[in-house]
Amino acid sequence: MANSSNHIDNSLALRLLRRLIKPEYYEDISGDLSEQIRVYQISRSGQALWLWREVILLLHPMLLRPLFNFDNFKNSTHMLLNYARMASRQFRKYKMNTAINLIGLSTGMAACILIFLFVQDELSYDQHHEHAQNIYRVTVKNFTVDGELSRQWAFASAGHAERLKADYPAITHATRFFPWAFPDLQHGDQRFPGEPVIFADDDVFDIFTFPFLLGSPETAFNDVFSLVLTEASAIRIFGNDWEEQNLLEQTVKLYARGEEFNFKITGVMADMPDQQHFHFEYLAPLRLVAQAFGEGTMNNVGGNYNWLTYFRATPGADIAALTESSSAFWEKYLDPIRGKSPSEFYQFEFQPLTDIHLYSNLEGEYETNGSIDQVYIFSIVGVLLLLIACVNYMNLSTSHFTRRLKEIGVRKVLGSGKSALVTQFLVESTLITMLSLPIAMILAWSALPFINDFVEKTMTLNVIDNYLLVIALLGLLIIIGLIAGLYPAFFLSRLNMVQSLKGKLSLRPSRLNFRSVLVTVQYAVVLGLIFALTVIESQIEFIRTSDPGYRKEALIDLPLSRNIENLETFKTELLSSPNIESVAYSSRIPTGRLMDSWGANFFRGETKVDLDFRLPGIMVDEDFLKTYDIQLVAGDDFQRQMDTFADSIGYFVINRAASEALGYDDPNEIIGENLSYGVYKGRIYGVTENFHFESLHSPIVPMVMIKSSSRLRRASILVNTEDLSQALAHIESTWADFDNVNAVEYRFVEDRFEDQYVQEQRLSQMINVFTVIAILIGCLGLIGMVGFLIDTKTKEIGVRKVLGASVANVLGLIGAHFSSLIGVAFVLITPIAYYLMNGWLETFVYHIDMGILVVVVPVIIVMVITALSIGFQTIKAALDNPVKSLRTE
Amino acid sequence: MGDYQLGEFEEIVLLTVAVLYNEAYGVSIKQEIEEKLERKVSTGALQTALRRMENKGYLNTRWGEATSIRGGKRKKYFMVTPFGKKALDHAQESRQKLWSAIPKIAFDFGKQ
Repeated sequence: MANSSNHIDNSLALRLLRRLIKPEYYEDISGDLSEQIRVYQISRSGQALWLWREVILLLHPMLLRPLFNFDNFKNSTHMLLNYARMASRQFRKYKMNTAINLIGLSTGMAACILIFLFVQDELSYDQHHEHAQNIYRVTVKNFTVDGELSRQWAFASAGHAERLKADYPAITHATRFFPWAFPDLQHGDQRFPGEPVIFADDDVFDIFTFPFLLGSPETAFNDVFSLVLTEASAIRIFGNDWEEQNLLEQTVKLYARGEEFNFKITGVMADMPDQQHFHFEYLAPLRLVAQAFGEGTMNNVGGNYNWLTYFRATPGADIAALTESSSAFWEKYLDPIRGKSPSEFYQFEFQPLTDIHLYSNLEGEYETNGSIDQVYIFSIVGVLLLLIACVNYMNLSTSHFTRRLKEIGVRKVLGSGKSALVTQFLVESTLITMLSLPIAMILAWSALPFINDFVEKTMTLNVIDNYLLVIALLGLLIIIGLIAGLYPAFFLSRLNMVQSLKGKLSLRPSRLNFRSVLVTVQYAVVLGLIFALTVIESQIEFIRTSDPGYRKEALIDLPLSRNIENLETFKTELLSSPNIESVAYSSRIPTGRLMDSWGANFFRGETKVDLDFRLPGIMVDEDFLKTYDIQLVAGDDFQRQMDTFADSIGYFVINRAASEALGYDDPNEIIGENLSYGVYKGRIYGVTENFHFESLHSPIVPMVMIKSSSRLRRASILVNTEDLSQALAHIESTWADFDNVNAVEYRFVEDRFEDQYVQEQRLSQMINVFTVIAILIGCLGLIGMVGFLIDTKTKEIGVRKVLGASVANVLGLIGAHFSSLIGVAFVLITPIAYYLMNGWLETFVYHIDMGILVVVVPVIIVMVITALSIGFQTIKAALDNPVKSLRTE
Repeated sequence: MGDYQLGEFEEIVLLTVAVLYNEAYGVSIKQEIEEKLERKVSTGALQTALRRMENKGYLNTRWGEATSIRGGKRKKYFMVTPFGKKALDHAQESRQKLWSAIPKIAFDFGKQ
């Protein structure tokens, strides 16, 4: 019995009691309990139950430890202050070390802050609308006979909005947006040419939240000739004091196509926030333009995709089910196509409003959207940079542990427990993080204008309104303080006391210590980033230098306005200058997209052959191939005199891919064969070499060029670059002679070519910056660490030299250590980086192969950087006279 | 006169501590109360009362000897302080006042 009571200390109930009760009460109470077991002769079997009952009854507030003990608190603040004082002494004593830590941590944090702002901005698109979660954009997927997706624009047809709203009860409001072709706006004497006026349905204000500064959404569209301004356009027209001018009683004149309209101003909305995927400055009722277009266009449901369409659904509406059931829509409004249900050719896709900016990249997006991949890439890079910065700190503070041995020893002797030591080092890391934060904020703040410029945003570092940023900063402080401090804290507090007092301890030289792991991680991140950068740069270089198959230099793309009616004389006028070498008209130009695909039939001799592939086409004139310098491999170029409609014969030039797709590997054999394409029927006149009409993201597809005199919307002008300004001036003055309403807007084809890869360029530049930061931080760590390594190996180096080692031997020794770490990092990261970058390259149909070079280059760069950052100290150590180093004891 | 708050159970404990004089510690107090007053006392209730009165200054403590049946744990002896004595006096006086104020007839159940 006596024995058993001795052991109640270990019972769960008593352990709980010990935990909870005030420590000074525990001894006699637990003694009382064990005595009572004896006195009351509690049986062994009933003992546990009895103990639990007693312990639970003992849990009275009177006896329990307070949750928060003020005395303890006072003690611990004293201790914390003491830790802080010790830390600041450390910081001041080892200035180099502190500087390295500060620079490393603050750069990493600054990059993180910027990435946070970017990601936050990207994720906040369109969230400000009250009904954001219930708003969807209507897009239409078109399918070929084979069920292949042939096109999906950001637009729907004019007839979709009201029919969807009428047929589906879940859809409560719907609006279309249709841009007016830039009318001139006149107010008093002032004329504003080409203002962006957008027509919208009356529902627009019930769908989107556009706060009104003047007027109200309910009355805004009462009149057909209503015009709602934004604050920016109100200021532009009426000046900064527009609020005092009683705008609701004002009218403005709009001129379009020679007609004049009087519009009543019915409201002023707040400017649309940057984080919205479209921006309008004027809204007018769509009813107005509906009359002008007529029934045919307005009821169209199977084409004429020009109408940006949005609807608002009831909260909780099942959009997947709605999409499912929308095939009935097509069957209701369209006739069967080639005997098949129209729903096999058309399908709706309803895009959630809040997903459009990050997930949608359709043809005809109103503005360039972001990409979720970019958000992921930057988030990962941000985390990696933080990791590197933390690793740096861990490395430095553990590699210099010898400096702290005595201090730790004394603290331990004076009764400091392990947890107190851990706290001390955590205080140190938190303190340095807190010191880094303001530096990081200043860095981020000064870099922000450049970043804004680069990503075309207007982000601000606003700690007052942006409470998420504040939370993120606090989180950053805690996370970095903990991550950076935890390992050193446990590492240092674990050191053996007696040995630390002697100041002699060196850790058992195990091959795989944690510090090596850390450096390896750092190397791996840097290697991975350089690897990615090398691949991206090589691919961009490949794009830039690869021959697209057409001339892009010295070419100007000039979209034509409707006012230019006589293309023939326009061309003659343009060519009258010696600086204009050639002018070609076409419906689309290379660097654009191949979208229009018409029904085509090919005739092999007399037999009709069905086309089992998509054959998109463009309309061109006789100067197109010449102007773009597209090579013919068979047949002839178009002639000027080949009137297509006179003898109802069309002329086609196809590309080699089309010739091969039609079964003619020798393009010469297809010349003269018959082809019908939409309304055009005629002969294949020539075959061109394949050229990249679209970007290198897409494969070269079969295509046909039709000589036509209609649908020629763009002029491509080959200019003499010797006197570019003369040439441009001539184009501008010629334009003004033909169209004095619309401003001339042209671009160099070369710029359009570059634009195709603007995402990649941007990605490359961003990764470039981050790689430099990562390398910088990493180097700082290396410099700090190698200093320590040499310190501890001074004697070893001395002994080796005495025994006959050369300087090269010694260098090799230290080099080998780092090389092996780089080797391990290389083996770890290369497969991952290879896999990821391969995925990226796959987004291009034409891409480089990751050869041995992209694998080797990062390693060489890292080796060189390592050599540079550790070289000086290492060589100095190796050259030192061994007498000096051996005397150090 | 200070404010001597003393609950009924506290008063019993305090009196018992006085009764046991030098021998008052957790188990002995508990046994004493259980024997004399024939009521069950849990360690929790007893300790709460003891510590509360210790905090109020009615009780002093000193460490006693450790024994094997206590698992090597020392006893903690409780002693009534002069202040505790005053509290007891006060409690008794208050009751006495009340007792003496009761008219005889109130308890003269036979004549009602």
